[in-house]
Amino acid sequence: MPQHDIRTAVRDREAGLAKITALSWRAGAAAVAVAGLLTAALGHHSSARAAPAEHRDNHGSIVIPAQPPGQAAGTGQVTSGAS
Amino acid sequence: MTRDTFEVFGTTAVLLVTRPGAIGQARSIADRLLAEIDLACSRFRPDSELSRLNAAGGEPTPVSAIFADLLAVALRAARLTGGDVDPTCGRALAGLGYDQDFADVRAAGGAPPRLTGPVGPVPGWARVQLDRGGRRVRLEHGAQLDLGATAKARAADKCAEQIADRVDCGVLISLGGDVGVAGQPPPDGWPIRVTDDHAAPAWAAGQTVTITSGGLATSSTTVRTWTVGGRQVHHIIDPATGEPARSCWRTVSVAAGTCVDANTASTAAIIRGAAALDWLHAIGLPARLVRHDGTVETTAGWPYDDPGDAA
Repeated sequence: MPQHDIRTAVRDREAGLAKITALSWRAGAAAVAVAGLLTAALGHHSSARAAPAEHRDNHGSIVIPAQPPGQAAGTGQVTSGAS
Repeated sequence: MTRDTFEVFGTTAVLLVTRPGAIGQARSIADRLLAEIDLACSRFRPDSELSRLNAAGGEPTPVSAIFADLLAVALRAARLTGGDVDPTCGRALAGLGYDQDFADVRAAGGAPPRLTGPVGPVPGWARVQLDRGGRRVRLEHGAQLDLGATAKARAADKCAEQIADRVDCGVLISLGGDVGVAGQPPPDGWPIRVTDDHAAPAWAAGQTVTITSGGLATSSTTVRTWTVGGRQVHHIIDPATGEPARSCWRTVSVAAGTCVDANTASTAAIIRGAAALDWLHAIGLPARLVRHDGTVETTAGWPYDDPGDAA
C-alpha cells in the first residue's frame, strides 16, 4: 500500500474513533441526567414510604397505650363515662 | 394534687395537676384552648367555622389551622375504622332533633323529628375534601359535619399536652368523661372510675383503673338519650343507616395512646357490636365492654373487675 494511503487510513480511523468517543460521552452524560431525573422522581415516593415510625403510627393505626390500665381500688379521681 | 371543675361543651370538665399552685395557670391554658375549639367546631353556634361550612352549599370554604386539625383528626378516625366513626353524621343528628345544645334537646322531649322518613346512610367521609396546606374544605353531596365524636377527645389531648409542657407537671383533664393525661403521673398512676355516665356518683357501679399516659374514653348509648317522635334515641349514629346504632353493648371504655384514639375505638366498638371484641383483641387495645344485661367483656390486658365491682 502506498505510504500516503496508509496515513489517510490512520487519520480516518482516528477521526472515526474520536466521533465514537464523543458520541459515547454524550450518551453517557444523557444517561446520567436521565438517571438523576428518575432518582429524583422515584426518591420522592421512596421517602414518602419511609416516613418516620411515629408518623406512621399516628396516622396509620390506632395507637395502643404504653401500658394497659392497672387495677385500682376506691372511687378514682375522675369518672370516665358517657356525657 | 390540685383539682378544678368547670362546665364546657355542655358537659363537665375536671382538671387535675400534680404541682401545688399550678392549677390557675393550667386552667387559663385550658380555657383559652377550649374556647378556640368551641368557636371552630360547635354545631350549635351560628358563628362557628363548622356552621359556616355546613351552610356553604358545597363551596370551598377557608378554615383556621385549628379547624383543619380537628377535621383531619375526624377523617383519620373514619379511615382507621373503615368509616364506622364518620364525621358526616350532622344531618342525621339534626334529623333526630339534636340540632341545639343537648340540655335544650332533652327539655324539648317528644318533639317531632325534623326530617320525615328514613334518613338513610350518611354521605360518608370521602365526601369531605380537606386541603390542609391551603386550609380549605369542601363538602360534597350535601354532607353536613358533626365533629362531636372526636373533637372533645382531641381537646382533652391538646389541653393535657400544652399544660404539661408549659406548667411542667403531671396533668389529667376529663372533658365529659374523655380523659387525657400528660407529664409525669402520680407514683401510682391516675385512678379513674369507669362507668356508664361521667356524672354518676363515685359509688356508681363500675370499675376503678389507673393509667399513666395517653387517654381513656367511654362511649355509651344510655346517657345522651332523648325522645323524638315517641321513641328513645341516642347520639351514636351508625353511618350505614343514619340511625342511632343498635348495639349489643351499652357502654364501652377503651385505653389508648391518646384520648382521640380511645374515643375512636370506643365509638367504633358500639357501632360494630359483637364484632368489636375480635377487632379490639386483634389490634391489642385494652377495653371494657358492658352488655345491656350488665355482663362485662375485657380485651388486651384490661384488668379484671374487682369482685366487689359491678357493671
